[in-house]
Amino acid sequence: MIEARGLTKVYGDKTAVAGVNFTVEAGRVTGFLGPNGAGKSTTMRMIMGLDRPTSGSVTVNGSPLTKHAAPLRDVGALLDAKAVHTSRSAYNHLLAMAATHSIPKKRVHDVIEMTGLAEVARKKVGGFSLGMGQRLGIAAALLGDPQTVILDEPVNGLDPEGVVWVRNLVKYLASEGRTVFLSSHLMSEMAVTADHLIVIGRGRIIADAPIQEIITGKGQGRTRVRTDQPDRLMQLLAGTGVSVEVQERELLEVKGLDPRQIATAALEHQVMIYELTPLQASLEEAYMELTKDEVEYHSLITTGADPVEAGGK
Amino acid sequence: MSSTTVESTPSPRGADAGPQRSGDGTSSGPGPSFPRVLNSEFIKFRTLLSTLILLGSTIVVMVGFGALSAWGTGQFSEAAARDPQAAARIAAQGGDLAVGVPTSGIAFAQLILGSLGVLLMSSEFTTGMARSTFAAVPKRIPAFAAKLVVVVLTSFVVTAASTLAAGFVSVPILDNYGLGLDLGSSQSVKMLIVNSIYVAAVAAIGLALGTLIRNSAGGIMSLVGLFFVAPIAFQLIPGDFFVEARKYLPGNTVDPLTALDHVPDTLEAWQAGLVLGAWVVVPVLLAGVMLKRRDV
Repeated sequence: MIEARGLTKVYGDKTAVAGVNFTVEAGRVTGFLGPNGAGKSTTMRMIMGLDRPTSGSVTVNGSPLTKHAAPLRDVGALLDAKAVHTSRSAYNHLLAMAATHSIPKKRVHDVIEMTGLAEVARKKVGGFSLGMGQRLGIAAALLGDPQTVILDEPVNGLDPEGVVWVRNLVKYLASEGRTVFLSSHLMSEMAVTADHLIVIGRGRIIADAPIQEIITGKGQGRTRVRTDQPDRLMQLLAGTGVSVEVQERELLEVKGLDPRQIATAALEHQVMIYELTPLQASLEEAYMELTKDEVEYHSLITTGADPVEAGGK
Repeated sequence: MSSTTVESTPSPRGADAGPQRSGDGTSSGPGPSFPRVLNSEFIKFRTLLSTLILLGSTIVVMVGFGALSAWGTGQFSEAAARDPQAAARIAAQGGDLAVGVPTSGIAFAQLILGSLGVLLMSSEFTTGMARSTFAAVPKRIPAFAAKLVVVVLTSFVVTAASTLAAGFVSVPILDNYGLGLDLGSSQSVKMLIVNSIYVAAVAAIGLALGTLIRNSAGGIMSLVGLFFVAPIAFQLIPGDFFVEARKYLPGNTVDPLTALDHVPDTLEAWQAGLVLGAWVVVPVLLAGVMLKRRDV
């Protein structure tokens, strides 16, 4: 379990993290989502004891990492794919890391095998692709078989196969009861990986809730309805707080009623409906909504996020 | 058994292979004790090709300069034998030309091993390795102390061994010119030990500079500034202050420490020892404090 209390980091006149409070629970994948420069990496470095908080504190299993007797066995972190001396081989890097905690060589071989690095383990890290660097970072994070795993942008630079692998890995680790804290600026990745989401923008927590709640939390549940009597159905559904939008000739999008209420109304008045699909705001939409005032670097070109159907996998 | 690139699912076998975990979420198992951190730093030290190249270069330079110096000294003494004035100058210097031959490459050895000291820490920061190192050892000081032990021990051993090798190469050359060099004489042994300690001290200063500056070029330039530029600059700047201050530069502590008798207008041996000690202790302590305080 990771707990941040009033955690603040100020660099000169710039506040990177502004007094955040959050708890990362064990047994689930907690996503840490935010735009670039929002304070994700700074927060993670403070968890790892690499950056000293300006004020406040962050603890892992109740104490700051500097107080842990065997830090590598408690917390494993991938903070930067290239947190490795470029002229050393992956194997020797892991061997040196393992030596600090008397982790046996067998474990070094195991994490190399697990992360698919066996082919390149004896090669210099400097020649690694970004994806290979990420795998080595993950191998190092898992070296001590830690209870808490922190991964900063782990899917960066991974091929699609690697992305799926990371997704399965973090879910598996959480299912074993470990604390998994995963940052990303990729909302789509979070949508399929995380159970719980902490959204950060400009150093402040703007949401901390189960992922489902964040997606539906805006109260914008919509339902797509196809019927051969659209005008009749519109009349039936009309009411306060309900809006109906005609999208095609026989296709309506209803806001403010749940599918059951729509079906009940249609059944009572003998209007046939042949599609009834609950739509959810995509995580992209929810995220854009949450962070629209918090983006550190506004891009000049607004990127449009396409709505995605819920459960559309 | 696995495909050439990826195992597409995490392997439970791998994840379960680690040490036992107690129920409350904190692990049991060995932590980063100093001997373990020292072992880790030795692994890091010997698994870099650049380190081994620098150590090898030190030996080559020391032996090469020893041989060259033996030949040069022989030529000089032959000339001196025909020139009474030169012979008088030699006599004034204590008479034994040969004893300094094995350590004649020391100025270069100190530069190489001092740079190694700088690189040992600065490369951690320039490559990002520091984040891995200090995540495993969050108290930081054990890792710094381990690096200090590694670089000081290695520098001492490599300097001593290459001085000895240079001695073995020099003896037959000097013999040709009728000059005797007894490697077992107390002055030879003193030269070897003092110079090895001195180079180890320079390496420690280098490590401190690398820790404070965190940049390889900057650290090495500072080292060169302290050991090569400052002595010359202090000589060129007029004024009694710089003449006096020059004696206290770390590079000027070796001669007083190895002198047979105290030479006027230099430090006493014990003073030189203290000065060199201070040049090591102050930067090392400062580096330790700053490493502990600053963000990685």
